[in-house]
Amino acid sequence: MNVIEMKNVSKSFPGTKAVDSVDFYLKEGEILSLLGENGAGKTTLMKILYGMHHMDSGEIWFKGKPVQIEKPSDAIDLGICMVHQHFMLVSAFTVADNIIAGCEPCNGIFVDRKQEYRAVEELIEKFHFGIDPYAKVGTLSVGEQQRVEILKTLYRKAEVIILDEPTAVLTPHEVDDLFAVLDDLRKSGKSVVIITHKLKETKAIADRVMVLRDGKMIRDDVDPRKSSFNELSDMMVGRHVELGVVDRTKRTGDVILSIRDLCLEEKGHVLLQNIDLDIHSGEILGLAGIEGNGQSQLLECITGLRTPQTMTVMIDGKPVSGGPREFLLSGLAHIPEDRNAMGLVSTMSISDNLILGYQDTPAFSQHGLLRQQRIQQQAQELREEFQIKAPDIQTKVGALSGGNAQKVVTARALSQRPKVLIVAQPTRGVDVGASEYIRARIRQLRDEGAAVLLVSADLDEIMQLSDRIAVIYEGKIVYETPADVLSDVELGMLMTGGSPEDLKGAAHRHA
Amino acid sequence: MIVLLVAATLRMAVPYILATTGGTFSVRVGITDLGCEGMMIGGAFFGVIGSYYSGSPWIGMLCGILAGIVFALLNGLLHITFKVNPAISGVCVNLLSTALAPLLLKLIWNNESMSPIVNNFGNFADTWLAELPVVGEILATQNILLFITLAIVLIAWIFLFKTKYGLRMRMVGEAPVAASTVGLNAIRYKYIGEILCGALAGLGGVYLSLGQLNMFTEGMTAGRGYICMVINVISGYNPLGTIAGGIFFAFFEALRTVIQNAAINANFLMMIPYIMTLIVIVISARRILPPAGMGKHPDE
Repeated sequence: MNVIEMKNVSKSFPGTKAVDSVDFYLKEGEILSLLGENGAGKTTLMKILYGMHHMDSGEIWFKGKPVQIEKPSDAIDLGICMVHQHFMLVSAFTVADNIIAGCEPCNGIFVDRKQEYRAVEELIEKFHFGIDPYAKVGTLSVGEQQRVEILKTLYRKAEVIILDEPTAVLTPHEVDDLFAVLDDLRKSGKSVVIITHKLKETKAIADRVMVLRDGKMIRDDVDPRKSSFNELSDMMVGRHVELGVVDRTKRTGDVILSIRDLCLEEKGHVLLQNIDLDIHSGEILGLAGIEGNGQSQLLECITGLRTPQTMTVMIDGKPVSGGPREFLLSGLAHIPEDRNAMGLVSTMSISDNLILGYQDTPAFSQHGLLRQQRIQQQAQELREEFQIKAPDIQTKVGALSGGNAQKVVTARALSQRPKVLIVAQPTRGVDVGASEYIRARIRQLRDEGAAVLLVSADLDEIMQLSDRIAVIYEGKIVYETPADVLSDVELGMLMTGGSPEDLKGAAHRHA
Repeated sequence: MIVLLVAATLRMAVPYILATTGGTFSVRVGITDLGCEGMMIGGAFFGVIGSYYSGSPWIGMLCGILAGIVFALLNGLLHITFKVNPAISGVCVNLLSTALAPLLLKLIWNNESMSPIVNNFGNFADTWLAELPVVGEILATQNILLFITLAIVLIAWIFLFKTKYGLRMRMVGEAPVAASTVGLNAIRYKYIGEILCGALAGLGGVYLSLGQLNMFTEGMTAGRGYICMVINVISGYNPLGTIAGGIFFAFFEALRTVIQNAAINANFLMMIPYIMTLIVIVISARRILPPAGMGKHPDE
């Protein structure tokens, strides 16, 4: 039986048709993967169902009856709940307060604290979540926070649970835990929708797949067990993309980037401890780690954005010190982890963004004036080379999609032919096609002899792209290994503080 | 001397406590309480107007509260509905209020700086409270608004931390988007917080003109609304904390009135509350964090 049917739903935003005459259905007790690239309309469609967006036309049927969902509380009343990609939690509140807020157990107008904690404790017990209801949410790990979000839906007696990109921020181990939870939910008769662009997870957990592309429903009844990764990817992207290309380095040379004794302390906390890294010419070193273990600080130190207590950096044998400018001019290029906050000025044009940081090099300025002709010419060339989809090079970067904005940042870094490339989260929020392209360009730069440091929260990306992997945990490099030696589970263990000795035990068990 | 000082401290503390409790509601729904100064001026002025035309300080009080609410709604309209930066909307309220009072003084009483004398809240000098041992002498110079204030603070604290509406209000201030995803109308809660802020800051203004004095004079708030922003920080955005914070600042203000005749330069004494503000801000402002959703809107 279909618990939800959405018929002929359309929704436009200024300039785009986000959802275009889509028919959607959800069966009772199934896990549905709503698959599509960024901007395909998955989240918009589900936010319509949850009452956060209003559809322009169409109907929603719940258990065989037409319903009006004007606002989230209407959806919650029907038993439809959503776990958003960016968690909707209050860090300063306790777990229990976060769960009950909006549907509090009450004595008159007073919150019944006893009832509150009893109800929350029972739920945590029932689903084996192992969270302290009295803990402040700000002190929990990301995986635990997600469980609080799921508890919110269970507390509201949800029958339909929508999860938006639930694995984007989780470690491999946490993903397994989440899947076990989802499986429990399925067994207890709940219907689950996961919004995702990740094929691996779709195949691992979904009963059925619906594919959205450019706001249209492409397929609504794909059996994930009978479809290959490439088939799913082709449906999603609309053309053939070679997935997960592995192409290790053929030739490494001398050490180009050498970091010695990097120590960073802030307010009495040790953030980075005795970091030593060497990266050779023609090599990609992947830094694997759970977010928040010092990666951001490491990136800031070795790009000159922050001055640590001690650090020696040598690029091509020459010591470098000072601010970002000195680092840039010594041949280091940086693709920062947050393109919107650090990589781009969204209100400036593509052509201006493409010279940021290099604006006063002789190539772009003369006698203190910008050489507009050359700047525009370079922008034209780079737009064609990197296939940046935009009406023209005067387009404001803020109007570009995530993938195209990331191509602008990448193009700027690579256009300088750097000796060292520091690249963080190169494909975060970037669609499959553009991701593979950006990865190919990073490999190309490596093959031309550059040394590349790759930082990514996506372990699959680290494993696909790196020639050598270093694991960072609590500000220390705890392990270094050539690529293809450790499995994702073993790396995940090191990333969460497991020791190399545990590794051998695990390897034995696997064997 | 000590009795005098304690009595004066209490009298000075009431407007601080009232306006800061109002500011607490504003900050707890995520809106900077910069407009308190303007709301206090409005309360002080329209309190006098109400008392002048009706002869009753109670009607005056209602008018003052309403005026505070009107200025708060103006701030709300600008910031909540039209998403103007809260610093700018707050300054608008303060400038408008500062300019409106002398204009109306001129139009109504043909005097640019002060109103005539009106009926105010009488003190307890001739009641049984003044007869009480020990505290009688202190209570003799207080009026009914002191007790109303203490009751308001207690109710405000219970409301914010014990009721479901308080929990929801705090959630809106911490994370307006999250609040709307659990089905709360964040805009409505923001307006409620803003209205409560206006009502209480207005009442604080009423105390200045009808409690401490019996008239309105231009500039009588003397930046107290801004000091309330500081008290709000050190009280941890908690109504109960405003009592301690209010008394702290009131003490220095009282000190300057009580020891006016002493050898210390009067101008120096005038500076004390403001210097204390500076010191307190430097020490505490970085440690006590406002709600995480300050200035955020539910649809972003």
